[in-house]
Amino acid sequence: MSEHSLIDRFRGRFEGPNTIGNSRGFWVGFAVALAVAFAYPIFVSNYQAGNLALFLIYAILALSLSVVWGYSGVLSFGQVVFFGFAGYTFGIVTLNIQSTVGIMMAIPIAVGVATLVAFTLGYFMFYGKVTGVFVAIITLVSTIVLQTFMAQTAGSEWAIGKAQLGGFNGMPGIPNIALGVGETSVAFSGKLFYWLCLVLLVLSYFGLRALTNGRFGYAMVGVREDEDRVEMLGYDIRKVKLTVFTVGGAIAGLAGVLYAAWGNYIDPTVFSLTFATFPVIWVTVGGRESLLGAVLATVSLEWFRQQLAITGSEYALVVVGLLLLVVVLVLPDGIVPYVHEKAVSAYREYNDEVDRSVGSSTEEEIPE
Amino acid sequence: MSDGLSSRRGFLASSAVLAGTALAGCSGGTASSSDTVTLGILEDRSGNFALVGDPKHKASLLAIEEINADGGIMGNEIEVFDPDPQSDNQRYQELTDRAIRQENVDALWAGYSSATREAIRPIINRNEQLYFYTTQYEGGVCDKTTFAVGPTARQQLGTVLPYLREEFGPDIYTIAADYNFGQLSADWVKVLANENDANVLGEEFIPLSETDFSSTINNIQEADPDFVMSMLVGANHTSFYEQKASAGLDIPIGTSTAMAQGYEHRRISPPAMANIYAGVNYMEEVPTESNTNDGGFVDRYFDMYPDAPYLNEEAETNYFSMYMYKEAVEQAGTFEQPEVIEALESGISLGTERAPEAPEGQTIELDGATHHVDHHMWVMKADEDHNIEAVENRKVPETFLSETVGCDLREEAEQTQYTPVDYYQEAK
Amino acid sequence: MVNGVNLFFQFLDSFGFIVLSAIGLAIIFGMMGVINLAHGELIMIGAYGTTLSFNAGAPLLLAMAVGVISAAAAGLVIERTIVKRLYQRPLDSMVATWALGLAMTQMVRIIFGNSLSGIGLPLGAIQYGQFSYSMYRTLLSVVALVVLLGAYVVFTRTEFGIRARATIQDDDTARAMGIDTDRMYTATFVIGCALAGLTGALYAPALAVVPGMGSSFLVEAFVAVVTGGTSVLLGTTLAAGVLGTANAFFTNLYGTFIGQVAMLIVAILILRFLPTGLSGVVETVRGQMERES
Repeated sequence: MSEHSLIDRFRGRFEGPNTIGNSRGFWVGFAVALAVAFAYPIFVSNYQAGNLALFLIYAILALSLSVVWGYSGVLSFGQVVFFGFAGYTFGIVTLNIQSTVGIMMAIPIAVGVATLVAFTLGYFMFYGKVTGVFVAIITLVSTIVLQTFMAQTAGSEWAIGKAQLGGFNGMPGIPNIALGVGETSVAFSGKLFYWLCLVLLVLSYFGLRALTNGRFGYAMVGVREDEDRVEMLGYDIRKVKLTVFTVGGAIAGLAGVLYAAWGNYIDPTVFSLTFATFPVIWVTVGGRESLLGAVLATVSLEWFRQQLAITGSEYALVVVGLLLLVVVLVLPDGIVPYVHEKAVSAYREYNDEVDRSVGSSTEEEIPE
Repeated sequence: MSDGLSSRRGFLASSAVLAGTALAGCSGGTASSSDTVTLGILEDRSGNFALVGDPKHKASLLAIEEINADGGIMGNEIEVFDPDPQSDNQRYQELTDRAIRQENVDALWAGYSSATREAIRPIINRNEQLYFYTTQYEGGVCDKTTFAVGPTARQQLGTVLPYLREEFGPDIYTIAADYNFGQLSADWVKVLANENDANVLGEEFIPLSETDFSSTINNIQEADPDFVMSMLVGANHTSFYEQKASAGLDIPIGTSTAMAQGYEHRRISPPAMANIYAGVNYMEEVPTESNTNDGGFVDRYFDMYPDAPYLNEEAETNYFSMYMYKEAVEQAGTFEQPEVIEALESGISLGTERAPEAPEGQTIELDGATHHVDHHMWVMKADEDHNIEAVENRKVPETFLSETVGCDLREEAEQTQYTPVDYYQEAK
Repeated sequence: MVNGVNLFFQFLDSFGFIVLSAIGLAIIFGMMGVINLAHGELIMIGAYGTTLSFNAGAPLLLAMAVGVISAAAAGLVIERTIVKRLYQRPLDSMVATWALGLAMTQMVRIIFGNSLSGIGLPLGAIQYGQFSYSMYRTLLSVVALVVLLGAYVVFTRTEFGIRARATIQDDDTARAMGIDTDRMYTATFVIGCALAGLTGALYAPALAVVPGMGSSFLVEAFVAVVTGGTSVLLGTTLAAGVLGTANAFFTNLYGTFIGQVAMLIVAILILRFLPTGLSGVVETVRGQMERES
């Protein structure tokens, strides 16, 4: 373990005590899962690929909350604010500049707007020493204000250039994401769009892994665990929180852009109380302190909810509610950490048994 | 924790993903066999719009059962893909996508609110799916594969406003839900006021979540109109009628939304809904023979659903549009959607038997050019005991798209929604 | 045009609504650190209990009592099974109670259908000039004050109240002094739910009785509780006063939409600039005055 091969350096950046999964076994499993995910569209229809792409977009949104809440202890109901702002901005820009150039410009502009909004809201809160539950409330109230406001922008006076905000009816006609210029441009729809979302999800995941396992990550976790002590160590916790919140906003914004392009549509329900709660649900179930947990929980939960809706059973919402209730009560740290715990203890027991029967000569070196 | 223990966990993670994707892929669709046809019915049976969406679902199923009992469509039995979108536009998008690309529905009925329609129209348009939108709405949708067969705001308000102007006088105060439908309906009130020599004294828009109407009531009292036009929507807005009655506000109210959809006159104690005049194409109380006779529409509905609370306006539209579809398929001789659309565009008319809103001997017509229906409209009045009486009825054709805008989908395929502000000065 | 008398009645209405929406939630949050997002559903249960008994023939006041008792009973069950595991875990309690609320709304829909026949608003109108106002709704603001006063008396003057506050302040010491803290928590939660049920019962005649009706109360309740600050009763009163004024004033001038947005913005500003809430400001001022005297 002392050679500094490329792989080790790579692993060094993305591993650490702040994320689950730091062994070779994990990475092998991860690579297999990733390969399966990439191969998926080859075996299924355009519809199914597009359907799963939506869940991947939600997973990116979940990641944005996971890093803000799980790692820095800031419960924000406002991720959907940045999600929605980015989606609407993407729509506004692409409806005004109707070309591939317009689309390519719209993506960074939209993410930029989301980031700016996150920065502003974060500054307002953290530099005003607002903490804990009050952050949750302020972010919650912001989503409601936005929903109420956007729902009444129905008149034709509510337009930015050629783009009508559309009020309650929303903004249709948003184009697919396309890259390239003129003849060489590629539009992302169906399977191609799925791959785009998957790539962006993986990049976000790795980006956040690097962030949480680096120096800054320790500051984040410190803020979550014991703010005062971290402050005494010389960190400006307001800056830490603001930075994380802004990063979370940018990632939520990215998800928002993809979302608007997925349905070619966006409406004020992205700001609704219900939708604002979903990221909290996904992250709670997946394990607040686990990025991977957030991703897995989001995809599974959303797939599960969709299946229930398809059955048309009137018990669908009851089942979802009770399931969540059970998870919070029984597995307060989330499912993935729970599974991890069980796996760890099972493996330990297995190892102990092996040692006892074989003798201590084959004790595996456990790298720390 | 960077140790070999994590490999077990790593495999758990990857197998979870594997299982998830496999399962997601395995939710197979029903392939229509050669002697069945699959129709998609996506109506809200839970969530905010359950109250008004459920009757739509039920009425569609009633029509389907009748048609199947009669041999189906061209000998094909109708099968239904009818999940519950839970009043959630996100769900609607997913389920519409699934209905079209996985279940391969030959025709789709979906959505209560206009927002839902707009959320799924991109998907509909992308796949050129035949789509029936059956709720009353603000009007103006000129779309090649969409058939908005419910009454439009112009048809509904255009029935009740002139009647009230005659009865009570020219001064109007408008209250409407603060979103597209409400705002566009209010625009139509201004257009109709202009056409009927009336004045709109003031307009007020109320957010959908609002339950406190005290200031609205005071505003009405201050304006002192001859009658009020109300386009309030949803369960929260129902409180207005309670509160107005309690405040002793005794003014006639014309509406396109109250009573016919959410049966307030059954749910709220009298006399809260007294002197409310609904301009609608259908309500359970519409006095046509095919509706109220023994074995009529109402009877058949409650035979199938004895516990249902009410047979509402949109339900009848779901019902007759199913029969329109059947006729169009029989005319076209095929289920292929472009041909069926062409058959629908040749103009389909239904008699009172299939469209109980029309009195004996009369018909309603699907206008092929605009994809809208020339409805038979009624002014239905509630008295102090909440008994409903029909005070006027006549055929009201769709005029906005056909005459003012000039939308002809047989000539030119479009996918637009037109609004009155672009065509009428007074709507601004 | 700001008509003074109108504004006054609208303020009373808003004040009463906010107090009654918030009081149950405030007691539970203030006392136990539990954020009960199923609060709206408990209000709904109160309304359903009332409406069902009324429709079955009971006189209105009795029906309301049934509503209160139904909500209290539901509260008891919820506390014993779910909430007691979530004390001092405000974020977890949010998620758990939200999930519970979701299940409850749907169960009510399944059992009772999409709506119930409503109860009419009793008591008629107060007429003044060309305007009138619902007597009943005006009365509700009085009821709100009575409830606040009642809660104050219970929590400061009765044996139970003093023990409850002791438990909340320092439950180890309370236990050491022989107070059954478990029972205290349960009792407080049940009282909070009973108050929610009372709100539902009182507003049942004024609103459409549908399974989702709880959500109309939730936002205002929430916002009032949090802007109110640490002192439960004082905070609720002040919050209802400030937010109610903002709402009534802006609605009167610019319409309902602006009124709602204004109220929410005022709430955000209070949260930002007065971190201890409105009651915190009062405490600080009182402390300063005491020091100066």
